[in-house]
Amino acid sequence: MTVEHPALALRGLAKRFDGTIAVAGVDLDVPAGSFYGLLGPNGAGKTTTLSMAVGLLRPDAGSAWVLGHDVWQDPVTAKRLLGVMPDGVRLFDRLTGAELLAYNGLLRGMDPAVVDQRAAELLDVLALGDAGRTLVVDYSAGMKKKIGLACALLHGPRVLVLDEPFEAVDPVSAALIRDILTRYAAGGGTVVFSSHVMEVVERLCSHVAILAGGTIKRVGTIDEVRGGRSLEQVFVEVVGGRTATGEELSWLSQ
Amino acid sequence: MALPVSADATPAAPVRTVSARHFVRLKLRVMGNNFRGQGWRIALFVGGALLGLWFAAAGFFLFAAPGLTGNGRYAVLVAAAGGGLLVLGWLFLPLVFFGVDETLDPARFALLPLPRRTLVTGLFVAALISVPVLAVLIASFGLVLTSWSLGGWSAGLVAVVGVLAGLLLCVAASRAVTSAFATMLRSRRVRDLAAVLLAVTAALLGPLQVFGLAALREADWTRLAGVATVIGWTPLGAPWTVGIDVAQGRVWAAPVKLLITVVALGALLAWWSRSIESAMVGAASAGKAPVRRGVTGGAVAQLFPRVAAWAGRDRFGALVAREARYWWRDARRRANLITIAVVGIFVPVLINVTGGDFAFDDGAGFTAAASDSSPVVVTISMVLVGVLAAVTLANQFGFDGSAYAANVVAGVPGRVELRARMTAFSLYVLPMLGVVAVVLSFLLSRPEWIGLTIGGLVATYGAGLAVNSLISVLGAYSLPETSNPFAMNSGAGLAKGLLTLLAMLASVVAAVPMVVAAALLGDAWLWLALPVGAAYGLGAALLGAYLAGDVLDRRQPELLATVTPRR
Repeated sequence: MTVEHPALALRGLAKRFDGTIAVAGVDLDVPAGSFYGLLGPNGAGKTTTLSMAVGLLRPDAGSAWVLGHDVWQDPVTAKRLLGVMPDGVRLFDRLTGAELLAYNGLLRGMDPAVVDQRAAELLDVLALGDAGRTLVVDYSAGMKKKIGLACALLHGPRVLVLDEPFEAVDPVSAALIRDILTRYAAGGGTVVFSSHVMEVVERLCSHVAILAGGTIKRVGTIDEVRGGRSLEQVFVEVVGGRTATGEELSWLSQ
Repeated sequence: MALPVSADATPAAPVRTVSARHFVRLKLRVMGNNFRGQGWRIALFVGGALLGLWFAAAGFFLFAAPGLTGNGRYAVLVAAAGGGLLVLGWLFLPLVFFGVDETLDPARFALLPLPRRTLVTGLFVAALISVPVLAVLIASFGLVLTSWSLGGWSAGLVAVVGVLAGLLLCVAASRAVTSAFATMLRSRRVRDLAAVLLAVTAALLGPLQVFGLAALREADWTRLAGVATVIGWTPLGAPWTVGIDVAQGRVWAAPVKLLITVVALGALLAWWSRSIESAMVGAASAGKAPVRRGVTGGAVAQLFPRVAAWAGRDRFGALVAREARYWWRDARRRANLITIAVVGIFVPVLINVTGGDFAFDDGAGFTAAASDSSPVVVTISMVLVGVLAAVTLANQFGFDGSAYAANVVAGVPGRVELRARMTAFSLYVLPMLGVVAVVLSFLLSRPEWIGLTIGGLVATYGAGLAVNSLISVLGAYSLPETSNPFAMNSGAGLAKGLLTLLAMLASVVAAVPMVVAAALLGDAWLWLALPVGAAYGLGAALLGAYLAGDVLDRRQPELLATVTPRR
């Protein structure tokens, strides 16, 4: 274990698109072995931040390190340590689940025998074995999330970065994904995931960061951030939401 | 769409009805928003508009020529042939080369409570808002000028009606046909049938051109005028010839021909409206997947199709296997493969066979044709085929779209990536090219030219791969994530055209040595062409992958961003 290096370190990451600032200087240290939740409302910059952290999107400024390896200077080493499940990105979905896993495994330079064995296990555990020769494009949303997770896990990464792993997933699949992630973290792996589902974050995470408007608003262990209240209260307060008074939208009641 | 929710089950009638005007405004708004803050897009659009105007002016003077010279003898010929070509062009070019502008994707309207008639009219009118339509409109007003100068203002007025109807016919034909093929290519049941049909349809272009070229050479204008009169009575030529009919005293023909046009237009719109429905529903579900045979072997064994079974079970092999599967399973890529097959057969046949003393009435058929072809002409035609085959890869990353992220995350080296993509594509294309070479040699009754044809093809194809690899890395653009394999993003049309042109020009330049060698070396080249051409092609492709791979290594995230569709 490289104790001296955080699993994921971000320094001053910034990105603007067509004049609007998506991420305005994010600093983050994800300790090795932690279960890290990145919270934020829609459009807060979660996906942009994570994309820059894993090498999918070149930042305008700042840098990212995975276990001490610079993602943008030494991408080969950094990417070897990373398992990534992006959100809003298609998979090579005209392959079957097994084919997709084999493709990703071989792409990572794994031994074919190991790929075969792990792919069979993953498909079995994630209850995707029944899909057989169905193409991933015909999978349901939950199945797509699960096969995406399997692709990220296949090569045994040290750090797992997941963008919205619980979005559009039914409770059974969500429980399964939670179990797998918990086991992975217990085995010494680090998980970073973005979400806006408070219960999941409260249940799973050891650390939390709240992102809004492209900057980190709160960061720390889950107890530090909560400060004795519920995470949802803190979140709404930080993000500054409004509640419906009942006056507007009166035409909704018949 | 502020539909009030009412207590009873029948919703209140909408306050205002939706008309075609709304679709036009929506299309203009979407186009405008696409331009916002994107200087290069505006520049491309302006360039495209200027190019369109240039063609429009050329067409205008062609159509106006009989009127300007005051010579009415060939007026019907010009109108029928030119107009017929316009309709055919609108029919085939989107299928084979350009795709259709799907700024307004029918699937987006699936949830709106619109009658189908409103939807079809709206989409149709919106489809009229485009540079090509404007260009054709300008060009075809040459016919109005001709009719007016030959027959006064009444003939001119009828010509205006005819030309407008003809334009509507063009647009309706292109929409109906692409939409029908898209539906068929999407359906798992008739997908293969659709592929064959598409090939046959495109193949019809060949005989048509053979006929046209032969007719031109024969230059028997009176007989051609007879043919043109016949064409003038089909929907292809009817709308374009009404004005001239009036001018030349056949006033009774005008209403009949306009009726023919209107009936054809109605039939096309009805056909389009049926396939639109399936496109709207099809976006949600592409039908039931067939029950596939049981799973055999491990995951790795399943990934590799039989054509790629020889590849190593490593990074390169995985890329080749995945690409090979994609060329078959992805409707968009399949449509491209079919195009190559069709064009690959017909371009050389046209150039070589009709290059001879081929006349329709000498009865000797194709065998008499070979006399005129030469090694240089054959090599040039092979260069064209090789270039056309390779240019398919000019936007190879655009096919993948955001799925390319998987390769970026895995950190695939650029050179491996490009070599694998070339290899997988060649698995399909090289056999096709081989067939083209053999078929052509036998058609020309020159089997000893097989080496020459294959050599020329492979050399150009390899050089084309090199050029297109670089273009695919530097000039990629996103393709819309719709189920229509012919759909293009608005504004991407010209970008695509320019890039394709650039790629083809560069590939042709890279293949010039083969033509020069064919011209200079004489008979020795017949034997040298195969080994030299193969070595040249392979070397060029490897060099291209080496150089472009380096660029790709530095631009992976940028490439991913450009091929990811904006949502």
